[in-house]
Amino acid sequence: MYALFQRIQQRSKKESAFVIGSPALIWQVIFFYLPLLLMMVSSIFILSEEGGIQGVTLKNFIPLFSSTHLTVIFSSIFLAFSTSLLCLVIAYPLAHFIAFKAGKYKTLMLFFLIVPFWTNFLLHVYAWFFVLEREGFLNTLLKKMGLIQEPIHFLNSIFAIILMMVYCYLPFMVLPIFSTLERFDRRFLEVSDDLGDSWLETFKKVMLPMTLPAVRAGFFLVFIPSFGEFIIPELMGGDKTYFVGNVVSQYVLGNETGELGAAFMVLSCLALVVAVMFIYFAFRKVSRMLLRGLQ
Amino acid sequence: MNWKFLGKFGGLSAVVFSYLFLYLPILILIVFSFNTKSFPSPWDGFTLKWYQELFGSSTLWNSFINSLSVAIISTSLSLLLGILLIFFRAQGGKIQKALPLFYGNLIIPETMLAISLLSYFTLFKVELGITTLIVAHTVLGLGFVIPILYTRFLQLDKRLTEASEALGASSLQTFIKITLPLLRPTLLATGLLIFILSFDDFILSYFCAGTSIQTLSLYLLSTLRAGVSPIVNALSTILLLLSSLLVMLFFSPKIRSRIL
Repeated sequence: MYALFQRIQQRSKKESAFVIGSPALIWQVIFFYLPLLLMMVSSIFILSEEGGIQGVTLKNFIPLFSSTHLTVIFSSIFLAFSTSLLCLVIAYPLAHFIAFKAGKYKTLMLFFLIVPFWTNFLLHVYAWFFVLEREGFLNTLLKKMGLIQEPIHFLNSIFAIILMMVYCYLPFMVLPIFSTLERFDRRFLEVSDDLGDSWLETFKKVMLPMTLPAVRAGFFLVFIPSFGEFIIPELMGGDKTYFVGNVVSQYVLGNETGELGAAFMVLSCLALVVAVMFIYFAFRKVSRMLLRGLQ
Repeated sequence: MNWKFLGKFGGLSAVVFSYLFLYLPILILIVFSFNTKSFPSPWDGFTLKWYQELFGSSTLWNSFINSLSVAIISTSLSLLLGILLIFFRAQGGKIQKALPLFYGNLIIPETMLAISLLSYFTLFKVELGITTLIVAHTVLGLGFVIPILYTRFLQLDKRLTEASEALGASSLQTFIKITLPLLRPTLLATGLLIFILSFDDFILSYFCAGTSIQTLSLYLLSTLRAGVSPIVNALSTILLLLSSLLVMLFFSPKIRSRIL
């Protein structure tokens, strides 16, 4: 390693440094941006067998503006949004508790929060399978207790999908909020308390405005990957509802539908960008409203 | 009843609910991995036979080794590429403008990246297998390594490197003897993080592995599709133990410095 550095350094200094610095950039361009570019290109260009460009077309997009395809995009946005919102509802009190109230159990609670996050998520899917199946733990338990006669179908429903999504993405929401709350200067809360504000007012005027950037970060960390998620809906939803991830992968893996898949991916990424911008502005509005409340 | 009481009570019940939500399925899973009879039948007796069967399965071991080697190689590659880029920056190279390139990984859903990579490899007739998998996972790792390393690099005390150069060390010596040791904790922590991400990754493996190589995630998927089996319960228990160990390693600087 040392010898390698030295040999490269013997050449002219700046150029050689660029030669060693650039592999990361080259890697990123070749294996991240070019594949994405390829998808965009193959959605709008007519390619010949040899890969030459013969013309530009939008014909791949025409079949996508049908109600079936648009429903898929909207259900993905709905899924991503409800997952993020539910995660937020669970994560905020949890992060607050760990940061402020947990005391000496803080590390332990954090530990137990991160372990599932660092374990293969398919194991969690399996665990819920085990609990929710027709012959699974919950149905067996309920039957033993005499509460039900026939097993309940928990799986293959939107309930099961959202439950699993919230389970898998929860840490992405908790950790940013926690790390902001942990650095939070508690004297702000005391001041607000001393000045006679109620618990709710302190929350609304002090804590929420100051943690809003973290909430936003967590929201996007959950929203973006869950928009593309395809295996949880497939396993928990039993192919009943389609989402962007399933449809794109089926088109791309299928015969003769590669361009359609590329076009659908481009379209859904555009929808994602619009949704993300919408949420961004919504957050800005909320933050301004909260700050105006202060005056 | 006042708000304060409601806040306290609500907070505590939310915490209890969250941890039950996270751990109840896992605990049930672990308990039934020790049951003598396979699931729908109730608790019968304690056994370790599922663990024995698990360790006898060669498909499982193969996929475990595959996941491990992909994770190790792609982690080292991303770290190496990251160090080289930081070296370039330390020499006075300008990378600020190129840096936003690496934030793209956060904006594009992994599924989209995986599918694009699949068509990219297919177009250039690259055979899918362990190489394509390593390439894909290295991209995943770079998205974490470069922003984290760069942020830490900027926080380093510049006086240390200046002192080193004032005392006559070459910029290379300064980098290897001063900057790298200062970055070591960050390198270890990030390395562990992207190792886990790669080891547990499902989406990239699903699209970029082809049929010739099976990773642990793909093995899990196939068993999951086959239905409930106590062997998978046993496997889950072991993997949970492993990840608990890694999290302890990550969060305890004391343990970390003793082992690494």
